[in-house]
Formats: sequence, structure tokens, C-alpha cells
Amino acid sequence: MQLGLLFVDELRGFYKSKVMIFLWIGLPVIALLFRYISSISSGQSLPFTLISALVVSSIGGTLASVMLAVFLINEKNRHVYDLFLIRPLKRRDIILAKFFSVYACVAIASLIAVLAGIAVDFASTGALSTTILADAGQSLATSLSMIAVACSAGVIIGIASPSVLVGAILVIYGGNQISVIPLIPTLLNIQNAALFTIGLAGAVAATLLAGAILLFEKKQF
Amino acid sequence: MIRNSSIDSNNCVVFQNVTKYFNGFRALDDVSFSIKTGEIFGYIGPNGAGKTTTMKILVGLITNFEGEVKLSGYRLPEKREESYKLLGYLPQSVAFQDWRTVNQALVTFGKLSGLGNEKIKQRIPEILELIGLADARYKKVSQLSGGMMQKVGLAQALLHEPKLLVLDEPLSGLDPLSRHQFKEIVLKLASNGATILFSSHILSDVQDVADRIGIINRGKIKQVGTINELKTSLSSKKTLQILMTYASDKWQLLGKVRNVTDIEQPSPGRLILDLENGADEDQVVNDVIQKIVKLGIRVRGVTLLEPSLDEIYFNYVSEAEN
Repeated sequence: MQLGLLFVDELRGFYKSKVMIFLWIGLPVIALLFRYISSISSGQSLPFTLISALVVSSIGGTLASVMLAVFLINEKNRHVYDLFLIRPLKRRDIILAKFFSVYACVAIASLIAVLAGIAVDFASTGALSTTILADAGQSLATSLSMIAVACSAGVIIGIASPSVLVGAILVIYGGNQISVIPLIPTLLNIQNAALFTIGLAGAVAATLLAGAILLFEKKQF
Repeated sequence: MIRNSSIDSNNCVVFQNVTKYFNGFRALDDVSFSIKTGEIFGYIGPNGAGKTTTMKILVGLITNFEGEVKLSGYRLPEKREESYKLLGYLPQSVAFQDWRTVNQALVTFGKLSGLGNEKIKQRIPEILELIGLADARYKKVSQLSGGMMQKVGLAQALLHEPKLLVLDEPLSGLDPLSRHQFKEIVLKLASNGATILFSSHILSDVQDVADRIGIINRGKIKQVGTINELKTSLSSKKTLQILMTYASDKWQLLGKVRNVTDIEQPSPGRLILDLENGADEDQVVNDVIQKIVKLGIRVRGVTLLEPSLDEIYFNYVSEAEN
């Protein structure tokens, strides 16, 4: 079970990184800022829960995918993986551990941001409407789906890209475009759009990860 | 050429007719050599000669090559899984993820190598003590100097007590004391039965520890053998040194000596005689001494100078350049 070991190991590295600290603390703070600004400009504030979900999907996905790509390119170019690859483990485990650890961190950060939103809304209004909660749930599902696709795009770009600069550009432009694919069911007003969104995101992320693993398996270090 | 590429049960490593191309560039060209179990094999050659490529093939980082490579009888890359358990590898440039401490890095690599928690707890302090890095156990690797990083690299290679150690330029970046300690460790490991393949640019260090040496240049193995075998193989130049008791110019009256091509006095009281190829050095010594004594010169000592590893190395490398 080298995947489990590598996952825990990577998680230990990521959760203390500056980017993750920004996600843990920064996302709720930015969401609060949005709420404050929107209440000043329009005179009425949007539910904080929804703002949180919006911020998570737009910032969290991009940051996570850039972080994954940059880590992979750096570690690959510095030959960090040499010491892993000479040991009895599957090459795919390195990739999957990286993906799942970052995704887990971002998913937890997203949950914290949305829960903070719910708490603020409850504190300010004294009640929470079921509509807002349902919307928040759907937004969270959509956000996590988009983040999954963005992260898998970050992984494949990180493995294929020769330099950090090229990788970062590809992730910011290409990765972000790909990450909106899960929104298609919502845009087409399909019934049970959330389920289709999750399914589509799962399929796209799995395909991108399979491609990344294939590239990594063939790579000569 | 002195080679030992026969496949027998004593060989831990066998390379047979291995060729490797990188985008049309032939990095290894029909490389064949073997390393016996328990042997320390020094691998020398200039930058870009193919040393690292050879090592990466052996440790399984390069899997796409022509020819046959065997590690303890396991054919690579097909039997990689089996071979991984046998080897420890120190790459030329050691790198760890920056967030790790030395301890975390060693725990992870120990677990990945199949060690249990108890064994890891026992081995880490042992290894760190051995390489003189006990104080740095809980330091982040990003805070370590290049030499300390090299030592952590060595620690991870030794942690699981591998049967074969592949060390790519292990002495680079180490201070003289650390280099001495490293050589002691290598000799100790070999005396305990480990097989060691290591490359270095510091030829004197190779000479100090290696049982046999392989010289590679431009992807081709130029020579493999013990130091003495390499010296003997380099028969193009034999040199005799005569130390006179007192500095004297009478030696210029020696005239023609059989099988001696040139005589010179590089410093007062010291004569250097270049011998012809195939000359019987005992006969030459006898002839020269007789002539010198007749001239009234007193002799303090006569030495047959053998080529140093540096000379052997430069001979094979420059031969290829020409």
C-alpha cells in the first residue's frame, strides 16, 4: 500500500505550505471582503454562503492546479523522484498521491469557506433558508467538480511541461478552460444537473490523470 | 583489453553490449563489464562520458536501452521489482522535497524500501551517527549545505542495508575529512559483503578504495581492471629513476645505454631514464648501474616508476580524443 503511505506523506507536505495556508484562511477572508464590498455598492448583501462557494471555485481551483503543476515540474527537474523510482513502488502511485493530497486539502479548504459562509449568514440573519443551503450544496458540488478537473489538468501539464513558466501559463489559460467542462450540464439546464456535473468531472479528471500516468510511466529519468 | 564480462554466479552486476541513444546521440556504445559480488568498482571518465547513464540503467531509471543488464541474475528492466530490493542509490545531485526534515525523508524512504517501523527507528540514528549527521536529524533539508545534503543522500542509500550500492559522484561537495570518512564507510561496507559501484572525478580517491576500475570515454569502455593490471596494460612508457648520492654532471658521459631511449636530470641528483617498449627492466637496471659506477657516481637508489592512475586515465582519455 505505497499509495496510502505517499498520500499521507504528501498531505503532510502540502497542508503546511504557504499556498494551503492561504486557502485555509484566505478563502473565507476574501469571501467576507466580497460580501462587504457588494453590500456597500448595491446596498444589499448577497448571502455569504453563496459568495464563499463562488470564491472557492474561482480561486481555489486555479491555485490548486498551478500549485500541482509547479510542484511537479520543480521536483521532476530537480530529480526529486529519482530516489522514489529506485524503490519498489508503482510510478502511478506518486502521481495519484500528489493529486489526491492537493485535492483533499483544497476540498477541506472549500468546505471551511462554505461552512464559514453558513455561520456568518446564520449569525447575521438568525436563520438560514433551505434555498440558500440547497444552493450552497449545489455550488460546493460544482466547485469541487471544477477543482477536480483543474487539479488533474495541473497534473498532466506538470508532467508534460519542461519548465515552470510554460507550465504555469498552460495551467492558467488551458487548465481553467478545461475546468469549466463540468458546468455544461448546468448551462444546458439538464435535470439533476449536479449529478451530471459530478459524473462529467469524474470522467474528465480520470481521463486526464490516466494520460498523466501514461506519460510518467514512459518518462526516462 | 582486460575485461571480465563473463556471466557467472560471482557477478553481482553484468553489462553486456549495452547501447543507449538520446535523440540520436549515442550515450553508451556497446558497453560490457561486470562487477563481482563484494567488489568495489571505481568508474571513471570525463564529463558526458556515460557514467551517469550507465548507473541510471542499473538502478532502473532508464529502461529503454539495447543489450543486456543483469543485477544478481535478475535481467533489467524486466525484473526491476526484484532488483529494487537489492540496491541503494546515491544520485549525482541529491534532491528532496524542501518541506521534509532529514528524519522525515529517511522514514519515508525506509518505509518505501520495505523496512518496518521498529527497524527504521533503530537504523536512522545508527546511519546518521555513522555519517556524522546525528545533529541534523530534525533539520529541514532546505537548511542543509551541499555536503550535508550529499550525506543525507548517502544515508537513504544505506538505510535498508542494500547488497549493491550505486554511488554517482559521491565525493563531490565533501570536505577532506568527510571524504576520508566516506572512504572508510565504503571499505567497511565492502568488508561486510556489499558490492559497490561508484564514479568519481577524484582519481586518488578511486585509487584508495577501488578493487577494480573501469575507464569510460565517449560512451565506450576503454579499460577495465585492477590498478596493477591497468598499469601493466599501459606498457608504452616505462621509466627508471636513479637517485645519486651527490649531484654530479658525470652522468652525461653515460652515452648510449641499451634499451634506454632518453636520459634526463629533472633535479640535481635525480636521473630519469625512459625505457624502450618491451625492454627487460632488470637488464637495463644492471647495465645502467655498471656504467654509472664505472663513472665514479655513487648510487643511493633505483626505482622503476609505474604510471599513476592519473597517467593511465589521461592516456586512455586522450587516446580517444585523438
